[in-house]
Amino acid sequence: MEKRILFKYIDDPNQIHIDTYIAHGGYKAWEKTLKTMQPAQVIDEVKKSGLRGRGGAGFPAGMKWNFVPKDSPKPRYLICNADESEPGTCKDRVLMEQDPHGVVEGMAIAAYAIGSHLAFCYVRGEFVKPAALMEQAVKEAYDKKMLGKNIFGTGYDLNMVVHTGGGAYICGEETALLNSLEGERGMSRIRPPFPAVEGLYACPTVVNNVETLAAVPHIINNGGEWYASMGTEKSKGTKIFSLSGHVKKPGNYEVEMGTPLSYLISELGGGPLDGHKIKAIIPGGSSTPFLLPSQIDAPLDYESIAAAGSMLGSGAVIVMDERTCMVWVIERLIHFYRHESCGKCTPCREGTGWLEQLISRIERGEGKPGDLEKIDSICDNILGRTICPLGDAAVMPIQSALKLFRDEFQYHIDHKKCLVKSEFEFK
Amino acid sequence: MADTVATVTLTINGREVTVPKGTTVLEAAKSVGIEIPTFCWHPKLKPVGACRICYVEIEKMPKLQVSCATEAMPGMVVNTESEKVKEGRKAVLEFILINHPLDCPTCDKGGECDLQDNTFAHGIDDSRFDFNKYRFIRERKSTFDDYRIGPEIVRNQNRCILCFKCVRANKEIFGEYDLGVFQGGNISEIDTAPGEKVDSIYSGNLVEICPVGALTNTDWRYKIRVWKTQQVKSVCSYCADGCNLTLWKERDKVYRVTSRRNDVIDEGWICDVGRYGYQLASVEGRLTTPLIKKGDKQVAATWEEAIGLIARKFREIKDKKGGVCIGGLISPQQDCEALLAFSKFFRTQLHSNNIDFRTEYKMLPEKESPYYSRLTSASFRIADIENSDTILVVGTNLIKEHPIVHLRVRKAVNQKGAKLYTLNPFTTKSGDLSRDEIVHVPGTLEAFLNGLCIGLAEKADGEGNVRAAELKARLEPNTTAKAAEICGISEARLNDLAEALRSAKKISIIVGELVSGSPAREAIAAAIHNLTVVLNLNERGQAAILSRAANSKGAERLGVMPSLSKELQQKLKSMWGGFPETEGRATDRMIHAAKKEELDALLIIGANPVASFPDGQFVREGLDKLDFTVVADLYETETTEKADVVLPLSSWVEQSGHFINLEGTMQRFEAAIKPVGNSRPGRQIIEDIAREFKGGLFADAHEIAREMQELLNVEPRPSFPDAVAEVKFAEEKIEKDYPYPLFVVDEMHHFGHLTERSRSLAAFAAEAQVEISPSLAEKLQIENGSLVRLESETGKLVLPAKISEMLDNDVILISRNFSGTAANMLQMRKKRIDRVRLIRVDEK
Amino acid sequence: MVDVIRTVFIALPKGFYTTLKHLFKKPVTIQYPKVKREMAPRYRGLHYLEVYEDGTDRCVCCGLCAAACPADAIYMEGAENEKGERYAKIYEINLLRCIYCGFCEEACPEEAIFLGHEYEFSNDNRDVFIFTKEQMLANRPKKEKPFKRIIRRVRRIF
Repeated sequence: MEKRILFKYIDDPNQIHIDTYIAHGGYKAWEKTLKTMQPAQVIDEVKKSGLRGRGGAGFPAGMKWNFVPKDSPKPRYLICNADESEPGTCKDRVLMEQDPHGVVEGMAIAAYAIGSHLAFCYVRGEFVKPAALMEQAVKEAYDKKMLGKNIFGTGYDLNMVVHTGGGAYICGEETALLNSLEGERGMSRIRPPFPAVEGLYACPTVVNNVETLAAVPHIINNGGEWYASMGTEKSKGTKIFSLSGHVKKPGNYEVEMGTPLSYLISELGGGPLDGHKIKAIIPGGSSTPFLLPSQIDAPLDYESIAAAGSMLGSGAVIVMDERTCMVWVIERLIHFYRHESCGKCTPCREGTGWLEQLISRIERGEGKPGDLEKIDSICDNILGRTICPLGDAAVMPIQSALKLFRDEFQYHIDHKKCLVKSEFEFK
Repeated sequence: MADTVATVTLTINGREVTVPKGTTVLEAAKSVGIEIPTFCWHPKLKPVGACRICYVEIEKMPKLQVSCATEAMPGMVVNTESEKVKEGRKAVLEFILINHPLDCPTCDKGGECDLQDNTFAHGIDDSRFDFNKYRFIRERKSTFDDYRIGPEIVRNQNRCILCFKCVRANKEIFGEYDLGVFQGGNISEIDTAPGEKVDSIYSGNLVEICPVGALTNTDWRYKIRVWKTQQVKSVCSYCADGCNLTLWKERDKVYRVTSRRNDVIDEGWICDVGRYGYQLASVEGRLTTPLIKKGDKQVAATWEEAIGLIARKFREIKDKKGGVCIGGLISPQQDCEALLAFSKFFRTQLHSNNIDFRTEYKMLPEKESPYYSRLTSASFRIADIENSDTILVVGTNLIKEHPIVHLRVRKAVNQKGAKLYTLNPFTTKSGDLSRDEIVHVPGTLEAFLNGLCIGLAEKADGEGNVRAAELKARLEPNTTAKAAEICGISEARLNDLAEALRSAKKISIIVGELVSGSPAREAIAAAIHNLTVVLNLNERGQAAILSRAANSKGAERLGVMPSLSKELQQKLKSMWGGFPETEGRATDRMIHAAKKEELDALLIIGANPVASFPDGQFVREGLDKLDFTVVADLYETETTEKADVVLPLSSWVEQSGHFINLEGTMQRFEAAIKPVGNSRPGRQIIEDIAREFKGGLFADAHEIAREMQELLNVEPRPSFPDAVAEVKFAEEKIEKDYPYPLFVVDEMHHFGHLTERSRSLAAFAAEAQVEISPSLAEKLQIENGSLVRLESETGKLVLPAKISEMLDNDVILISRNFSGTAANMLQMRKKRIDRVRLIRVDEK
Repeated sequence: MVDVIRTVFIALPKGFYTTLKHLFKKPVTIQYPKVKREMAPRYRGLHYLEVYEDGTDRCVCCGLCAAACPADAIYMEGAENEKGERYAKIYEINLLRCIYCGFCEEACPEEAIFLGHEYEFSNDNRDVFIFTKEQMLANRPKKEKPFKRIIRRVRRIF
C-alpha cells in the first residue's frame, strides 16, 4: 500500500505556491512549534516519532539534534542536505520541485529545535530547477513573515539561505558539504570532531536530509506517536523509494517502512519488463550491495535489509533483469566512484583508480588470470580505511557482485567475451 | 596556565604511556619513542588524516584508526605493530606507489625522502600494479614535467603523494592562498591559483615540508645528493628574529639552508631571506684581496700593506688631533665578537666614543631618552605573543621586518583568538588579520598614542590607577577628539582600541622600524611609555621596540653606541681599566663632523651608509671631506668607491660567532666554509688593525667570551619606570608641492644592501620599484611597470612603478636594497616624513 | 756404459720429443704489446660511460656510484640541462684511488657506468689519473660489452 504523507499533495501543481500550501494546512506545524513548544519538546517529539535520517545512514534525527551542545556560546547552524547525487536516488528532487514549502517548514522547525538562527539549504549544482523553486519558496516564506525577524511575534529570528554546490557527489557527505559551504574544496573532514560539535565555521551544526526534514512538520502536526505507529519496530514511519531500472513503472513511491520489496517492485512498479526476469536488485542506491531475486520478499526497513546483506541507504531501488552484464554494471559504478573520489585519502584516491583500470580491462576482455583476486584484495584494503564512506560505497557493490556473480567475471577473463548475451555484448 | 594539566594514561604496545589530555595517539607514541610512519602529519598543522599510513589498531575498535587524528583516551590499548596494522601500511604504500614514478636517481629528495624511508621500512618489494602510471604533462619541453610554480619552486606533480602539507601550511600558517588542489580523485593536482605565483616570503618552507620530491627549490635542485653534505648549525644573519638554520655544505660550498626548529623562536619556519640569503657568500665579484687607493685607482695590495697603512694613518691622526677625530661604523649584522672588538679598539686604543651601528636611521638624538632605551631593552618573548589576547602592532610592516614574529602574531590571532590592532601610516599585510587596521596620517603617531592614553586614563579613573590621574593631568588640555582629528581617524575607533586595551588580560605591544628609524622616535617612545604605564603593562604583558638586524640587540647590549647607560659605562671602565671621557658621536653627527672637517678618518665595517643613510647628499658630501676612509665589505658598494683602503670581509657562513636576537637570546653559529679568497672575518680585521696599532685586544678566545658575558650580565633596565613622560602633540604639515609621504623600506625578499646578489632572492625581486596604491595609480594614470619620476626637495629618481594591492592610501614606498637606486637621495635627515611628488614619465 | 746409452738414446730423445712437440703447438705466451690478449668478459678495467642511442648521457648524476665506492674515488656535481633534466656537470674518477671493484657498475640504476677491458693507462704524471667525464665517454668501446646483457638480466631478476 502506498501511504502518502510527504507525497500527499505531490500531484498538485500549485503546491509550490505558499498560498496553496497554507490552504493545505501548511506552516501550521511551524506556528505551533514557535507558539507552544520549547526546543526540547520538539526534540522529544521527534525522538518519540523514531524518525531516522533518510540520507542513507539511518541515524535517529532526534538523537542527532540532541548532540548539539546546549551551553556552547557559538552560533548553531542547520543545514538541509539537498545534494542528492547517489545514482538511482531522486526523491529529494521531487520533494523540492513539488513541495518546497514542506522542506522549508521542516528546516524551520529543526532550526528552532537546535536553537539555530541561520539555516542553509545546500542544493546540488545540477539541480537548477529545484534550487530555483526552493529559493522562491524561501522568498515567499519571508514575504509571509514565516522567516526573518520576530516570526509570529515570538521574538524568534530565523534566516534561510539556499546555496547551490559545484556538483560533486562527495558534497553529499556531510563534512565535505560543510567544507564546500565554507568555500573550501569539497573534501571530507576527519571525525571527531563531529559536525554537531564543530561543524560549519567550527560551530555546532546539524546536517539533515531533505526527506528527514520534510517529515518533521507532519510529526509536529500529528504527534510523534502517530508517526511511530507506522512502520516496523525500529524503522518507523514512511519512506520514499525511488524505483528505477528494468521495471514497468519506475518512479518515486512512498510506502510504510517494512513493506516487502516484492510489493514495491511487482505491485507499485508493475513488475519486471515483459518476458524478462529479475537478476539483481540494488536496494538502497548505487553504493549498497546487491540483493538476489530470492531475497525479494525482504521487508523494506533498515534492519531487514541489513539482515539480507545489503543496506536500505537512501532508498533507491534499482532493478536489473537477466540481460544485464554485471561486469558492465560494476565498470559503470567504479567509473563513477573514481571520478567522484575527492582525492583526499590515499586508499580511495588510488584504489578506485586502480579498480577502474582492472575492471574496465576485464570488461574489455583483456582481463588476466588473478585479476579477480587482486580486486578482492584491493577492495579489502579500501573498505573501512577511508575518511568518509565514499570508499566503502565504491567497494561494497564490487565485493557483492564478485561474491554473487563471480562466474560472469571469470567468464569475461577466461573467454574474453560476455556471458550475458545482451545488447551490451562487447565489441 | 594551570600548573597541573589533566593527563590520560593509555597502553601502547604494552607500555603504559601518560600524556597530557588532548594529545593524539601518534604524539603519545612518539613521546615514548615508538615510531609510527607518517606523511601528511606535521607537528604544527592540524591533522587531516589523508595519507592513512599512521594506522594503529585500538582494542574495541573494529577498524584500523589513523593515529594522527585519534585523541588518546584513558585506558586505550593501542597496538602499532600488529599484523593488521602492518598489512594496512603495506596496502597504503602500495596505493601511493602505484602512480609514483621511480625516478629516485634524479629526484633531489632521494636520501631524505619519507616515501623512500617508509617503503623501505614498511612496504612490500613489488607492486601488483601492472598498468602504465598516470602522468601529468604540463610543459612538454621537459621530460619530467617539472613546472615552475614560483620564482624558486619547481613542482613535479607525478611525485606528489597528495599529503596536502604545502597547501595546508600555506593557508594555516602563512595565510597565503596562492596554492590549491585542482582536479579530483587520482588526478588531483597541487597547483597555483590561476595567474598566481607562489612567491610569498615563506614559500621556501613549502619545499622543506614536502615529504617527497614534488616540490623542489632551484638552489638545491640537481646539484648534490643529500648524503654527501655535512650539516652546520647556524643562525640567520638578517633580521633580528634570530631563526635557527642548518647549512648544508660540501667541500667549500653551501648548497642550501633549512630551518632548525626552535619552538621558542621560529617553530621550524624560516623566511626566504634567511633561506636563500646564504647565496651571496659565493657569487662572482666578491672582494678577495685588500685594495689601496693610489691616485684615482684602487689597486690590489696585501693584508700587511693594508693593515700597516691603516695603523699608520690612524696613529698619525690620533697623535695630531686626537682619537676623537676617528669614527667607526659597523654593521649590526656582524657577530658579537666583532662588535666587542670594535668597541674595545675604539675605546681603549683610539680613546674615541665615535662608534655606531645605526647607519640606516635618520638623525639620532645625542643622548637617548630613558623611555626609548627602556623600550628597546624591554624584555620581549616571541613565544609570549601567542599567550596575549590583545596585540598592538605599531609602526611596522611586520611581515617584511620580522616575518617570524608575524607568524606568531598570526598564530595568536588565528589559533588562540587574540585581537590584533595595527597602527601604521600605510596598510600592511598584518592589517588583514586585525580587528581594526588603523592608518594614521604619516607623522602623527604620537598624537594617536597620546590620545589613546587620554582615553585609557579617563576609563582608568574609577579603577584606582594612580598613574592615570597624573597622566591625565599632564595631558589635560588635549582630548581624544583632538588626537583623532590630528591623525585623521574617527574618535570612535580610537575609543574602541582604548576599550580593547583596557579590557585585555594580556597585551603585546610590538613597535617597529617606522618608530625606531624616525627622528621623532623619542616623542613616540614617550607616548608608548605612557601607554605602558596607564595599562600597567609590567604585570600584564610586554611592549618593545624590536631591534632591526640580526645583532642590533647585541650592538646595544655590548655598547657599540656613542652614549651608553651608566651601568654599562661603569662596567666597561672597570673591565678595560679606562673609558674615554669625550662625548661620542652617532652616525649622522660623525658625518656632520666630517663635513665640518672635525672628523678625519672613518672605519666602516660591513655597512653601506652612502646608499643607506637617509640623506644621500649629506653622507656623500661628508665622506668626500674625510682624509682617510677604510671600508670592509663583501662586495664593492657605493661606500667602497669612496674608500682609501678597501678590505675584503667574510660573510657569516664563513665564520663562527654569536648573534643576539630581538629577545636578547645569544645564539652561536658555526662556520660552514672557509673565507672566500683572502677575505677575513670582521673580528679578525679589527684585531689585526689593533695589533698593528698598539697591541692585541684580547689575550685569547676565553677573554672575549668572558668580557661578552660580563657585559651581557649588566641588567638592561628591564622593567618600566613609573614616571610619566613628557608628551607632545605633533601635527604633520602637508606641503602642497610634495604631496606624497615617502617611506624607504626593505623590499619583501631583501634585507640590507647585499641580498640583491643572491640569485634566488633576485629572482623574487631584482630591482627597486615604486610601490603605490591602486587608487593613486588611477589618479595619476600610472600602470604597473611604467616609469615614474619621484622628486623631493633634495633629489630626483626615475623608477618603474608597482601597483600594490596591499596599499590603499596615498603613500609611496621604495626599497632600499638595490645598488644604483640611491633612494636615500630623496630623503633628508632632519625631516620626519619625507615628501615627494610623483610624475609619470612618458616613454619615448 | 749402459747408462750413457740409455741417456743418449732414450732419455734425450724423450726430452727433445717434448720440445719438438711444443714446436708445433700454439704458444702459451703472447707477444705483448704487439699482440694483446682478449680479456675475460668479467674483467674490470678502465671505466667508461654509456650513452643513449641519441647520444645523450645515460648518467643522471644520482650519486649512487659515489656512495657505493669503497675507495671514495668518484666525485660528481650535478646540474640541469636545457631540457630540465639532471645530468652530471662534473664526473671524475680518481684512478689511483679506484680499486676496480665494480661496485659503481652494480650500483648504477641507469646502466651508465661500466668497467671496460682496457688496462693500459700507466703514466708518469699523477694528474692524468683524474679520469674526467669526457674521457670516460670517449673511452666507450665500439662493440657492446657482452657481459652487459648478463648484468641487465640479473638486475631484472632482483
